[in-house]
Amino acid sequence: MDSKGVQLINEETKNIDRMVEETVRRYGRSRKALIPILQSIQAKLGYLPRYSLESVSSHLGIPLSNVYGVVTFYHQFILEPPGTYIIQMCMGTACYIRRNSENYRFLLSLLEIEPNSRTSKDGIFTVLRVRCLGCCSIAPVIKVGDEVYSRVNLDEMRRIVSFYRAKARTGSSKHA
Amino acid sequence: MGANQWSLMDKCCDLCRHSSETPCRSYITCAVEGPLCHDNIECREKRRFRISEIKNGRNGLKISIGMGSCGLAVGARGVYDATLRELERRGLEASVIPVGCIGLCYMEPLLEIHKDGLPTAIYGRVEPRSVGEILDTYLEGDVSGASALRNRVGTAKGELEVPLLDEIDFLRYQVRWVTRNCGIANPESIEDYIVYDGYRGLVRALESKPEDVIEIVRKAGLRGRGGAGFPTWLKWSICRRAEGLPKYVVCNADEGDPGAFMNRMLAEADPHRVLEGLIIAAYAIGASYGYIFVRAEKPLMADRLERAAEDARRYGILGHNILDSEFSFDVEVIRSAGAFVCGEETAMLAAIEGGRAMPRQRPPYPATHGLFGKPTVINNVETLAHVATIMSDGWEKFASYGTGGSKGTKVFCITGSAARTGAVEVPIGITVRELIFKVAGGVREGRRFKAVQIGGPSGGCLPENMLDLPMDYESLTSAGAIMGSGGLIVIDDRNCIVDIARFFTSFTMAESCGKCIPCRVGSKILYDTLTRIIEGGGSEDDLRILEEVGTFMKNASLCALGQTAPNPILSTLRYFRDEYEAHIKMKECPAKVCSKLVSYAIEGGLCVGCGLCAKQCPVQAITKSGERLYHIDASRCIRCGQCIIVCPRNAISRR
Amino acid sequence: MVKVLIDGVEVEVEPNSTILEAAEKAGLKIPTLCYFPGLFVEATCRVCVVELSGTGRLVPSCVFPVSDRLSVETDNVRVREARRIALEAILATHRIACQSCPRKGACKLLELCREYGVEGIPVCAECLLYGGDCLLTREEACLGPITNAGCDGVCLREGKPCVGCRGPIVSRDTVREAVKLYVGYGVSLDMVLSRFSVYNSSQPDYCRIVKLLSNLAEEERHNQGV
Repeated sequence: MDSKGVQLINEETKNIDRMVEETVRRYGRSRKALIPILQSIQAKLGYLPRYSLESVSSHLGIPLSNVYGVVTFYHQFILEPPGTYIIQMCMGTACYIRRNSENYRFLLSLLEIEPNSRTSKDGIFTVLRVRCLGCCSIAPVIKVGDEVYSRVNLDEMRRIVSFYRAKARTGSSKHA
Repeated sequence: MGANQWSLMDKCCDLCRHSSETPCRSYITCAVEGPLCHDNIECREKRRFRISEIKNGRNGLKISIGMGSCGLAVGARGVYDATLRELERRGLEASVIPVGCIGLCYMEPLLEIHKDGLPTAIYGRVEPRSVGEILDTYLEGDVSGASALRNRVGTAKGELEVPLLDEIDFLRYQVRWVTRNCGIANPESIEDYIVYDGYRGLVRALESKPEDVIEIVRKAGLRGRGGAGFPTWLKWSICRRAEGLPKYVVCNADEGDPGAFMNRMLAEADPHRVLEGLIIAAYAIGASYGYIFVRAEKPLMADRLERAAEDARRYGILGHNILDSEFSFDVEVIRSAGAFVCGEETAMLAAIEGGRAMPRQRPPYPATHGLFGKPTVINNVETLAHVATIMSDGWEKFASYGTGGSKGTKVFCITGSAARTGAVEVPIGITVRELIFKVAGGVREGRRFKAVQIGGPSGGCLPENMLDLPMDYESLTSAGAIMGSGGLIVIDDRNCIVDIARFFTSFTMAESCGKCIPCRVGSKILYDTLTRIIEGGGSEDDLRILEEVGTFMKNASLCALGQTAPNPILSTLRYFRDEYEAHIKMKECPAKVCSKLVSYAIEGGLCVGCGLCAKQCPVQAITKSGERLYHIDASRCIRCGQCIIVCPRNAISRR
Repeated sequence: MVKVLIDGVEVEVEPNSTILEAAEKAGLKIPTLCYFPGLFVEATCRVCVVELSGTGRLVPSCVFPVSDRLSVETDNVRVREARRIALEAILATHRIACQSCPRKGACKLLELCREYGVEGIPVCAECLLYGGDCLLTREEACLGPITNAGCDGVCLREGKPCVGCRGPIVSRDTVREAVKLYVGYGVSLDMVLSRFSVYNSSQPDYCRIVKLLSNLAEEERHNQGV
């Protein structure tokens, strides 16, 4: 399913199983709980490895195909391991009018992200385009981790990137 | 507020019977005006003192800081920390309250200080390092540095030079009806909410029969604030009469329209009002369980609503036998995993049930066949906040605002190129012109107004000569726009209408769930056609394709997403046809935006060879070509326009 | 029973029937494309749209329920125009040459295109949208038509047959209908059996489905005299 299927060793699959079991116990074994369970797993692992989907499928008794269908439908779910920092570029109207698409293009070139990828080669940044963060009055807006930056321009982007790059190099990683 | 501190919600002494185990009809009144259950001067005084502390702050000093999502984004957290630090340094005891947004987004971060005996002052664009100075000068009785005052006392220095909050243009035309508590009450405190008259609507509803509650909402003339404007009472009444148990209520807090954030603002600043509206709705239709469906990108909103529900449950305002009315109801906050189409009722229900959010054909409507096949009412955040306020203040007052067919007030969000951006609550029927030019101060930095886009990606663009249109459901629809959730995006002359139409289409194309042909394929055809036009390959026939396919999508799509998706194109074709034609016939973009149709060049005579542009260029397309001359390589240039901004001699031009 | 007016013809139908069923009773034919009762009734193709008289609203007749004294028009200018554009939109994502299609032009889409004056060539629009080719043309059991479409799956883009990773639209009852459909496309029964086994393996009813399929296969072999 995930083309770059991450190979997991036995120990890791066991850990995932244990975590899924725990999460399923908390949310209940029903179809309704599928999305919250997936959200909770992603919050812990940073993404949804293939094995976690298989595990959720067997724990909930929902076909894997169905789980995958849900995962691919919603923007929130990520199937590949993300970089240390996730940069969300708001692509809402107000941000577009105030030229966030230019910021986006600039960021891709600044981080040297390949056309078919969303993560920078050094594995520090993953850039996602999101639909409106609801901060339209202070557009254009980008979000790095939980931090929102408003009224950004190219200079500001340079500053933000070098700040986080330095932070990542000194080893204070968020998804450690 | 400390965790162990006594609050109005608690018992005042052993004589007091109030707890969630022993529900009581007069609990809310008793907590604020009481105690009513027993008579004790000390208890009465204790309550009175606490109320005054909430309203005026500890020791009569209260500092409120706007900490909604957008306030936080511009640094309100730093201001909050600085405030605590500066107070401590001065040895001052005061209440420091993180409040929601009052809608003055262009002035964020906001800090409001109240001290007994001085006018309450609001400071805009506050930086952490200036907090100390603001505190000192204010406490010395000098308010001259404030941006606005809530009241005048006549004792402070510089009072008369500072405008009253209600007098500044942004607020002068407003009627703060559902937004009354925004920026005033602490959203994380149920105590604050009841001090500011909260849950009175619920008490009144529980004292009436459900049918009478529906009748009050009918008399008020409240229509859904989520977009379509369906009469709220009618939806309730159909659901109440529908067969099947249990019934559900769902609060639509999946605000997905880019450019609209009033629901986030309301739920972040006054979550209990939304919850109160939801409980009243549940009582009116006889629902026993409810869901609040919140958008993933707005986590603070979900946290606040969850906290509100928890607090309400703790004090018996939610749960079993609410306020001894024999009505039981509970609610769960659901965090959406993010898909624009979730805003559509049936898609949202599919998402709550744990599947892919695909809409289904209506009828049957959710009011008879909704969540898990049971009768379900879905109302949006603003509608529910209105319900609570109508129940507490009476339908007469609500109905006195607005127009014949569209009663009450509506919160609009003004963003884009407006001079003052933010959220405003005004009576329905105000003209678009008044909103943009009087309230929002026109277009920023002296640019020219070109169009206003109303109602999100599914709305339409209106030109200057349509601005005298009143903002009500019918007028907007007839002009090709929609009320939608109430977002107004001001577009200035530096934006290309065709490019913006394509932006909206790319949005709906990406967000189409893919179920029905008109939306899935139609939006792709529209997008490809617009791209052709933007890149200079358009033909006259393309305009016919846009109209034909657009009309087809409008008429034949399954859900509102597809039905309204072509609105931006159809409305701009109607009002800005000449811009389309310029792209097609002249192969030129009048606003100089569409990159395939513009090129950048450096004027040899003006360039002084400073090299700033070459340094700024993100793709190294600018190179030195002579002693005092730089040259732009057109094949590498990405037309970002940064060189124009940095050039000190204005030597770079778009052609 | 409720009374409905279809193109001026009055018919009495059960209260829970659809406009399409009422039209059939009135002896009127409304074209359909994605409508396979018992298998797939999701109103996605919008070819069966009709107009609710007096409102200008176009609704899919295959799922829209009738109500008393409902009046619809099944063949006016607006309806025909909408059907034409719907067919055009379907064709826009349909890049198969009839010559290489097992149906050799004997298909409903082509028939309707001729009737509504749509020019072009004519099956599973989803894969084609992502640049894939139709697997049924290779007589392989692409499960696209009976699975939840819209997946942009890697397998399809690599030209492998769809194994229905999104799962079937309905469970058990689909099987019998689906088998008929595939066999009609010229796909061998063994192939259908093997594909179904793959993607139904996580279904709660797996054993039943396999048994049903085996019985069907047996019947078919018997009929062919093998």
